[in-house]
Amino acid sequence: MATEIIATEGEAIYAWMIWILPFIAALIIPAVGKFSKISTGRIAVGFAAMSAISAAVLLPMALDGHEIHDQIDWISALGLKAGVLADPLSIIMANVVGWISFLIMCYSTGYMKGDRDIVRFWFWMMFFIGSMQLIVLSDNLLQLFFGWEGVGLASYALISFWYRDKKKHHVGQEGRSALGVMEYFSPTHAGMKAFIMTKVGDIMMLAGMFLIFAFAGTFGLRELVNETGWAVEMSAQGLLVPAFVLLFGGAMGKSAQFPLNEWLLEAMTGPTAVSALIHAATMVKAGVFLVARIGPIVFALAAAGILANQFFEIIAWVGAITALLLATQGMVNPEIKKVLAYSTGSQIGYMMMALGVAGLSQQYVDGYTAGFFHMISHAMFKASLFMAAGSLLHVVGSRFMTDMGGLRKKMRKTYAFMWAAGLGLMGAPFITTGFWSKDAIFAAVYESGNEWALPIFIIAVLTAVITAFYTTRMIGMVFFGKESKHVQKMESDGHHIHEAPKSMWIPYGILAVLTIGIGIIGFSAEEGIHHLFTEYLDESFGIHSLHVDGELSESLGFLSGLNPIAVGASLIAFAVGFGLGYIFYIGRWVDPAKFINSNIFFYSLHKVILNRWYLNAMIYWSFVIAPLWACRAIWRYFEKTVIDTGMNVGLERSVRFGAKVVQGTQTGVPQSYLYVFGAGLLFVVLILLI
Amino acid sequence: MEYALLQAVFLPLLLSPLAYIIGRYVGHTAATWFTFGLLLYCTILVITASIDGTYEEHYPWTELFGEFGLLLDGLAAPFAIMIYVLCTILALYSKPYMLHKFQDFFKEQAPKPVYQSDGTTLQSISLEKFVNRQSGVYYALFLVFSMGMLGTVLATNLIEFYIFFEVMLIPAFLLVGFWGDYPRLRIALMFFFWTHVGAVILLLGLLAIGLSVGSFDFADINEADIPPDILFPAAVAIIIGLGVKLAAFGFHIWLPYAHGSAPTPISALLSPAMIGIGAYALFRLIVEFLPQTYADLSIWLTIWGVATMFYGGAMALMQDDIKRVFAYSSISQMGYLLFGIGSISVLGLAGAEMMYVSHALGKGLLFMSAGIIIVQVGTRSLSKLGGLGSKLPITAVCAVIGALTIMGVPPTSGFMGEWMLFYGVLETALEEGNDVRSLMFALGLVATVLTMSYMLWMLKRVFFGKLPENFSKVKEGSWYMLSPMMVLAGFTIVLGIYPDIFLSKIMPYMQGVLGG
Repeated sequence: MATEIIATEGEAIYAWMIWILPFIAALIIPAVGKFSKISTGRIAVGFAAMSAISAAVLLPMALDGHEIHDQIDWISALGLKAGVLADPLSIIMANVVGWISFLIMCYSTGYMKGDRDIVRFWFWMMFFIGSMQLIVLSDNLLQLFFGWEGVGLASYALISFWYRDKKKHHVGQEGRSALGVMEYFSPTHAGMKAFIMTKVGDIMMLAGMFLIFAFAGTFGLRELVNETGWAVEMSAQGLLVPAFVLLFGGAMGKSAQFPLNEWLLEAMTGPTAVSALIHAATMVKAGVFLVARIGPIVFALAAAGILANQFFEIIAWVGAITALLLATQGMVNPEIKKVLAYSTGSQIGYMMMALGVAGLSQQYVDGYTAGFFHMISHAMFKASLFMAAGSLLHVVGSRFMTDMGGLRKKMRKTYAFMWAAGLGLMGAPFITTGFWSKDAIFAAVYESGNEWALPIFIIAVLTAVITAFYTTRMIGMVFFGKESKHVQKMESDGHHIHEAPKSMWIPYGILAVLTIGIGIIGFSAEEGIHHLFTEYLDESFGIHSLHVDGELSESLGFLSGLNPIAVGASLIAFAVGFGLGYIFYIGRWVDPAKFINSNIFFYSLHKVILNRWYLNAMIYWSFVIAPLWACRAIWRYFEKTVIDTGMNVGLERSVRFGAKVVQGTQTGVPQSYLYVFGAGLLFVVLILLI
Repeated sequence: MEYALLQAVFLPLLLSPLAYIIGRYVGHTAATWFTFGLLLYCTILVITASIDGTYEEHYPWTELFGEFGLLLDGLAAPFAIMIYVLCTILALYSKPYMLHKFQDFFKEQAPKPVYQSDGTTLQSISLEKFVNRQSGVYYALFLVFSMGMLGTVLATNLIEFYIFFEVMLIPAFLLVGFWGDYPRLRIALMFFFWTHVGAVILLLGLLAIGLSVGSFDFADINEADIPPDILFPAAVAIIIGLGVKLAAFGFHIWLPYAHGSAPTPISALLSPAMIGIGAYALFRLIVEFLPQTYADLSIWLTIWGVATMFYGGAMALMQDDIKRVFAYSSISQMGYLLFGIGSISVLGLAGAEMMYVSHALGKGLLFMSAGIIIVQVGTRSLSKLGGLGSKLPITAVCAVIGALTIMGVPPTSGFMGEWMLFYGVLETALEEGNDVRSLMFALGLVATVLTMSYMLWMLKRVFFGKLPENFSKVKEGSWYMLSPMMVLAGFTIVLGIYPDIFLSKIMPYMQGVLGG
């Protein structure tokens, strides 16, 4: 089966439509919003559906391993073209993005009902979907960067969506601070923080793009593969790895990877639909997608004798550190959306880990598939969890899990779906997508056979334990135990707590069911993607894989492709994490607060983790407080004093002073002039005499 | 079309007395539309002339100085078009803003009625008359200011260039001096002294070059004819003279005063259009005519640019007056231009020119939204503003688009300028293997984060957060003010997505300059 460029206009137009349609909707919505606010929602949902259908139309083609590469003139003065590249990777991604967006748009019609700024919401949501699909389908880095900044902009606008900064829209606990830095954020502050922090990643990405462009003379993703002369030269100058690491810097910013992870937590000030779509299912995956886009290019260079192992090592380690760092914080946070946000960052760490480890092993496709498959399964269960959390917020009116409790009888559907999606996140064995994708990562890491395999594997398993624990904790705190005072007060005030409306629970129900449903056939689904990517990497990048799995799996049957150690580790991690969570939060046999206070070690560890390992505080001190202090010092003691006073006032004063001095000699009294005249005469005479 | 550029430059000058007469005897609105129509006509002339590549006109002048020429080539066209587009729409924008200003002035300046001994009152000037008289003067000066800027970028002769360079200064000085904020006279004088001294230093350089070449015509200037011991000081004098105009670090202190104090439509011309003419002159005089000296000095331009970027950005963070934030931001943006001009690369230079265009659009939008805030809200202190997004939605959207343009976020034109400019610097750094240039490239990228910080912080403090109670009755600005902004906002997005409109003109010129 050969990769070919299908020239039929008919199919290429779908690839363009996937990202152009949402932008068209974004243009229409503000105009329509002047007349009818309700129809803006319908337009948004309709266009999201059309975009998703366009992606679905191309799916059979992609699953056959074909690709569409269609270009038009763009900046002809510079010889740059715009284009779409619809290959298996991007089409699968476009479908994930498209359909999840569609479901979340449906959910939003319920969640955002009656908001006075609804038109703005729909505009930015459609702008976001268009930008995201632009990232997915771009055939060159410059165009991809347009989408990249577009999603950043949409993220900024939607995080600060409730720009009036009311108290209920803040995140963090009021009054809490770490190292003197307040950890309580208003929506507008959070949006600004997110935009600036991701910008730091973006400038790295720009620098990386420029370095590559300087040598290759092209931004094209396919052109970079076809001709490798640029890489030879770059690696001779020692710039190849730095350039790609800089490119990865963009992914770190967008995907909230350590050390650019801190913005994601505050991003939870946005409406929950936004958190589900942008900060869980799609935008934060853009970084993973970028690594999946450029990773094979780098790995394929090995065939030309250029090794870039450091690049993959950095990705793997950044992923591993992030996975562990954020998972630990998920264990202690009292806010439900923040727990999910920590979990998102941590799970993306897994994906990065897999994609990085892939490049360090002989079997690139294993890690590659694992990372990508985990991205898909995570998109489903995390979007579902977020939407369910949105329902809880909607119903209970508080973001704190301590204000919930005992809700399982009142919100049965949400309870069930949250368990289903939560099991996916925990990686419950054999029935959830999360299990298969996580297991694939474990196997890929364990089998990669490089020097870092073991430490990264241990981190991965440890993170899995913690993940299972905090998911159980979340469900336990929300649905089990006694009703909190807040809930009791609401009930006594006459606010009856009830299930969310249909438009809300159906979308997350679908995704929760899919998590389990695809989970049951999970292994074969993964095998399918594995098979597809093996050919894709071979045809498009010339990365050959050893076809070991084919024969073996036929002889040994269903579970042959599984690595027993990975499966074992996965099972143990689930059991331990779930068991601990059950003891503390579902069975409630031990009071967690008492346990933490029982000895100084747990107490201080808890405090450090709750203060976000002091990372946020350190970032604020070194990049916000100190620079502002320096600016103020320059402003006071240099700009105002030296330059302003010195140049403007000083010059004026010295001229006036000079004038006064000269004025002093102009007395107008003849006698004084005569004295001076006489003195001068005497002086001349003396000089002449001597 | 014959005499197109001559008309475009001199019609505003010749008809400026008419603008005064119309303003004084017919009224404020008539003067606005007259000025708008005249400038619109001239803008269309410039745009049509620029469509088919290079366009020039030559007229006999004096024996002493040479020819009087007007040249609209790949370099001048984007500058000229941007200047006149801004002037045209700002003429319209001026109507409500200046009316507001004149009414304020009426209270403090108009002569008090005199009560005479026989019981009658001596008729003092009425508000309407006062406004008409003032608006006549305003629009006459506005027209002269516009033509001065256009003439500077079209001139083909060193002396002609210098004359226009000073012609744009005089009306600007008067506009600040008449309608600026307190202490207007002092600030106007400061503005005049600084830029005039800069211009005189520039003149020294121009004379040195012109006299040693033996002709002031651009066409005759050849670097090889200039003795090296004159060439270098002359080039430095030109760069310093233009550095004052650009308000580059060290020579910048006049700018926050002048741009903060000037009436807002004039700030919106001074900041985006006028100071960038310094960049135009650097292109023309240094990059094009003295390529060897340019290559030697370019790295210092880059360093100076980075220093200006950082300094302007850092100071913009510290301002409380919204117009001063934008003024310092302009300084920082001029740093970007210098930074790009210092790259000896086609893309870098083209990027710097795109930067001029997008800065004109973005800063124009921002100053105009500041004007709306001043008129509708009545304060310009950031600490008192807040939450205006709900009260001034269209202004807020335009300001955000302007801020995005300045930050260089796609799909605004700012990104198009910025990536080319930064790429150009990196390209030269790699080609030369020059560590200083690489470092400057990295620092420049960091400065974009600074730019983003002060812009977002400004937006947050003006448009977001709680609405102070005393702003609950604030209304959106008039359409005279909003529609010009929407034009600019549309323009920045179109140019950001499809930059070929200008790049197809700029690129051949830049390739010619560096390739030749």
